[in-house]
Amino acid sequence: MPTKQKGKTRFFVLIALSFLLFLSGCGEFKDIDKMVFVSMIGIDKSDNPKKPYKIILKLYVPTSSFRQNPTPQYSYLIKDGETLAETIAILEAHLDKELDFGHSKLIVLGEKMMEDEKNKEILDFLIRRPDIQMISYVAMGRPNAEEIVKFVPNGETSLQPTLFNYFGNTGAESSFIITTHLFDFRRTMNEYGIDPILPIVEINEPGSHFIIDKSIILAKDRIPYELDAEKTLFVKILADSAKSVFFTVEREGEHFVTRLDNIKPKYRVERDGNQVTIRIKIKLTGIITESRNTLDNRKLPEYNRMLEQEMKEKLNALIDEMKMKGYDPFGFGLRLQSHTLPKDRMTDQEWRTAFKNAKVEVVVKSNLKSTGSIQ
Amino acid sequence: MTSQETLSWVISQFNDTSEVIQKHLNYGNKQATLLFIKTLIDQELYQKYIINPFFELPSQEQYHLYLTMLPQFQEVPSKEKALQFLLEGNVLVAIQEKLYSIDFKLSKNSDVNSTSVETTIHGSELALSDNLMTNINIIRSSYHQPSLTIEYYLKGEVNRPKVALVYDQKKVRKKALQMIKEKLDRIDKQVITEAYEFNNFLNDKRFSLFPQMILTERPDRVVYNLAGGKVVLLVDGSPQCMMAPAVFFDFLTTMEDDYHTLLISYYLKLLRYLGIFLCILLPGIYIGAASFSPEVFRTELMLTIAGSRMGVPFTSFVEVLFMLFFMELLLEASIRLPKAISATAATVGGLILGTAVTEAALASNIMVIIISAVAISTFVIPVNEMAFAIRIVRFLLILTTSIFGLAGLTLGLLCIIMYLVNLSSFGEPFLRLYNYRKGDKNSEGQA
Repeated sequence: MPTKQKGKTRFFVLIALSFLLFLSGCGEFKDIDKMVFVSMIGIDKSDNPKKPYKIILKLYVPTSSFRQNPTPQYSYLIKDGETLAETIAILEAHLDKELDFGHSKLIVLGEKMMEDEKNKEILDFLIRRPDIQMISYVAMGRPNAEEIVKFVPNGETSLQPTLFNYFGNTGAESSFIITTHLFDFRRTMNEYGIDPILPIVEINEPGSHFIIDKSIILAKDRIPYELDAEKTLFVKILADSAKSVFFTVEREGEHFVTRLDNIKPKYRVERDGNQVTIRIKIKLTGIITESRNTLDNRKLPEYNRMLEQEMKEKLNALIDEMKMKGYDPFGFGLRLQSHTLPKDRMTDQEWRTAFKNAKVEVVVKSNLKSTGSIQ
Repeated sequence: MTSQETLSWVISQFNDTSEVIQKHLNYGNKQATLLFIKTLIDQELYQKYIINPFFELPSQEQYHLYLTMLPQFQEVPSKEKALQFLLEGNVLVAIQEKLYSIDFKLSKNSDVNSTSVETTIHGSELALSDNLMTNINIIRSSYHQPSLTIEYYLKGEVNRPKVALVYDQKKVRKKALQMIKEKLDRIDKQVITEAYEFNNFLNDKRFSLFPQMILTERPDRVVYNLAGGKVVLLVDGSPQCMMAPAVFFDFLTTMEDDYHTLLISYYLKLLRYLGIFLCILLPGIYIGAASFSPEVFRTELMLTIAGSRMGVPFTSFVEVLFMLFFMELLLEASIRLPKAISATAATVGGLILGTAVTEAALASNIMVIIISAVAISTFVIPVNEMAFAIRIVRFLLILTTSIFGLAGLTLGLLCIIMYLVNLSSFGEPFLRLYNYRKGDKNSEGQA
């Protein structure tokens, strides 16, 4: 009975289709104008010991036309709470719209929060919540997250928070700004042999713009260690993420500034018994951009030697300092682990002592192209 | 049956005899009987080639011989055939108990049209005409091969138009030809007026979205496709012809592609393919991104969309359907309207409606931009029949996206691709990506 068969098929298809109507599908249907988008998340330590977290959410206020409304408008949600998820759930009740973290690009952790060793808990929440993007930037706010999140610098236009442009080479390409993504922060947090490093965001004295040139190392069970601007620069150089660096050489009566456009660091970590040797080889290419004295093009090899010595001293000093304090933002330990068989690997404790006693050999090869002046 | 009996049978078939004219010529020792329909024949030719020689030539034999020499001359095998010849505009001549037919058809529609559907910048501006013989003449005179074969059929019970099947015997894909002939035999229709109807007549499926044959009015396209091994179907009285088998990518080719330099033609093709994806996907992407996953796009864009949707009373998919509906109405209206008014319709619909809709906050600004982009990119598709199919596909994707978000859009697109892969046009896989027999001399319809 082909017709009966056909009728049955049709009936089945109809039933199947009507079941589809009950499915909610992937995600729910929510119009975009019924959502409110979070721009930044700030997490501070509150004064109330029972509710240790203070969450600051910066919300975009949508405008229909950029031209009609060029000045930035934000609204803020602030709430203390015992746990992060709970606090955000309460904050959602304060709004008429659905809170969407899909466009939040920056997570600012307050300075006091850092000292509290709550990073794991915070990270746990940030990673678990599905609409927080793993490619968000993470930074430390000084004096606290709230001020950084609430601060709108001069010249900011609507829909484009200035603070985002500092990170990730979209706007500024400064060699003093460390960019840490959330996924990277979490990875370095859990990994042995590398310590996470976060940029420090500050506001300048008259309160007109941000300053980001310092960074902070968060070792797992030690107090965070702050790096000033110069050390941050060297960390970036060693991590091969510095684009263009101005480096001053001051020795043997000369005083000049070089612009290094091409920096290629290479390092190897070798182990012999318990003795670890870190060999760093770094190639620099650039020109001299400024000088106190008149420079002679024929003396370029001399200048190269001076630059090499200066760079070597500075790098040695930084690595020695890190060694003494036991911080490893470069990931030397990870490098060693990745190059050894599992049976030969050191435990975390062993690595720490080995790192303290490690030999460091820095080789700098510089190639200054010119003295920069036209003769 | 004698010729006189045949003639009287033919006359008896007509109820209204005022159109059918029978003449007895009788002069000296010469005799002939003529039968014709006055409105169908060219009376000047009739006068010049039949009447005049009758009086000028000295004997019956000479006149008889003269008639057989005429290029329009045909023998009449049966009385049914005689009736058909008469209806086609022939003059039936009964002479010495023999019945002949001489083709003096008068056709006023044999002028070559200028291209109106497939316009190009480069290349010929001339299209096919409404007259089958003129069209065959155009094809024959630009395709010089002895293997060019033309077969005539009479289809349609009532109006019985002449249908011509044209192909190159050496290059044609035998399987496709076989299928087309079989399906032509099975056609059982009362009235056939346009070549385009064969797209449905030769299609066994009742619900089919994508055209299986490609419609064209350009002789250069016909010639190009004949050389590519396609079969061309022409119908008398139709200024367009159908070509089969057609694959999806035939519908995205213009004749101009071959007239440009390589890079330019690649660029234009790229533009066209981007256009087709844009017009299928854009409304879906808008719904999916605006209502399901706003994190897909840049923050600025999402906030602008959110801002421009402020005050819009509909949800995103109603907004899209609302605007698309008006766009489709506008498209339909501008086809039906007389040319003089259609420009006004476009202005009223496109400009005034677009602005007013956003002013009244019935749709967002971004929506108007998307709808215009969709409309423009639909026009990029060079063959009109495909553009119609694409318009329907768009609605299907809007449906899946409204239910399942961007995942639904992807799924819907996959389903459509699967459907296309499943289709075949007269034995040829419809979504054939490349011409795998290109090296072969019998290479098939790459056009």
